[in-house]
Amino acid sequence: MRHTAAKALAAVAFTAALTTVAAVPAMADPAALPAAKDIVGVGSDTTQALFTKFSADYNATIPAGDTTTPRLYSWDATGTSPITPKAGGSTIARPNGSGAGIGALNTTTKTTLDFARSSRAAQATDPTGLDFIAFAKDAVTWSAVSGGHAPANLTTANLVDIYTCAKTNWSQFGGTAGTIQPFLPQSGSGTRSFFLQALGNITPGSCVVSGPEENEGTDPLLLTNVDAVIPYSVGHYVGQLNGHTTATDAPGNLTLRNLNGVSPLTATNTLNPAFAGGSFGRVLFNVVRDADYTAATTQGTALRNIFSNTGWICSTAGRNDISSFGFLNLPTTGCGVIIH
Amino acid sequence: MSRTFARIAAAAAGLALALTAASATTASAAPAAGNAVIHESNAFFQQAAQAGIVAVPLPTATAGYDPSTGLSASFPVTDGSGSIAEFWGSVQFGGGLLFVDARTGSAVAFHQLAFSSETYQVTGVPDGTTTPVALFAPAGETVVTRTGATQNLSAASLALDPAGAQFLDGKLRTSFFAAGQSVGSFRVSYTPAS
Repeated sequence: MRHTAAKALAAVAFTAALTTVAAVPAMADPAALPAAKDIVGVGSDTTQALFTKFSADYNATIPAGDTTTPRLYSWDATGTSPITPKAGGSTIARPNGSGAGIGALNTTTKTTLDFARSSRAAQATDPTGLDFIAFAKDAVTWSAVSGGHAPANLTTANLVDIYTCAKTNWSQFGGTAGTIQPFLPQSGSGTRSFFLQALGNITPGSCVVSGPEENEGTDPLLLTNVDAVIPYSVGHYVGQLNGHTTATDAPGNLTLRNLNGVSPLTATNTLNPAFAGGSFGRVLFNVVRDADYTAATTQGTALRNIFSNTGWICSTAGRNDISSFGFLNLPTTGCGVIIH
Repeated sequence: MSRTFARIAAAAAGLALALTAASATTASAAPAAGNAVIHESNAFFQQAAQAGIVAVPLPTATAGYDPSTGLSASFPVTDGSGSIAEFWGSVQFGGGLLFVDARTGSAVAFHQLAFSSETYQVTGVPDGTTTPVALFAPAGETVVTRTGATQNLSAASLALDPAGAQFLDGKLRTSFFAAGQSVGSFRVSYTPAS
């Protein structure tokens, strides 16, 4: 084969590969419009991939011929917008993140949404009447591009200095000289909210850029940016290392860095429980309307069958999924606890 | 409640009072505050009484009784760390818990009772040992609320932990206790040191 032909063939193959990657369908959006009776959720990016798995595995427990038992579905944080979450429901802007999902849950009824995925805890400003049901543990650390200018470790005080723009060069923290480019995930992100809270509820400085989708090192703003720093879900990162990725939902060149001298990962690349037990550890939730959750209705029964302490997510099958996607399981007696 | 059960309850309350008077404790300087209440259900009380078994709170825990809801034991918070809502740390309680089997004449007392926020279990250290035993765990609908720095946990049911059931059966030489057996309900109010 002549060099020209070989190059052309390689180019075709490369293009085909790109096309194949680009054609990967959105990860968690339901393949078909869920029925009105189904249990449907939106919200957190951090747990959306896990919920794809939850949905598949939970629905597999319902016999194909069973047309009355509600199935479980969830919509990605990103994708085409607006969406109609289920048959007969309202058309809404696709909620991108925990806060947006909780807001959508609060402004709709069960004819549109049944739950919101949340990677942050309940806040005083959240609407009353919502139950935050705990189901797993995660942690948030900072990440930077491999081989970039950032050091291996930062302290909480360092991160405060960086995100308030009090210090702006990596050389001030033992890194290689270079102007720090601090990023935060999109507004409405639970990871963003939690990270800022863990830093003492700071207000980001003017040097901070908001916008990259959380937990996606593939964002062009981050991919080869040797001066970038951005918070990252440790559990989601572990899930990505375990192969739960898409073309965009992947770490790219970002690696997780130590915080206060503690590694977020164990030697076997799992979420370090010691890290998750500190102030950068967080609980993951599913949020439901209390009135729906406690109702003696088909929907209420289905919600409890999925989210309660004796529900499917807290079962062995659900806990196996949680581990596979990189998060830590709560104690069996703590899974399904409602936390306000 | 039958006369027999009333007598056992009275005896248990009397024992608690006597122990309270007999063992004055040093006032704790721990800044943490709050209490834990184990509310023994009438159903468990009757089953236990029929088996000759009585559970008695020991000082500085206190016993209580309500005709409609039955017996309760309240344990003061003496110290704590972490957060119940965030599943880390633990809350320590004063007092103890005594189990007596009138039929076998056996008894076992636990002190250093604690609620682990990491395992969501109530543990206690048997007298004469240093290793905690998991006694109970919240079951049924469990709700944690936060008001300022205070965290409140309310569990609709409190179930015997498998390790606790096995330990109690062994120590009391009975087969009464069973893993998952509900003894009543459980509440914790905890304000950490400030």
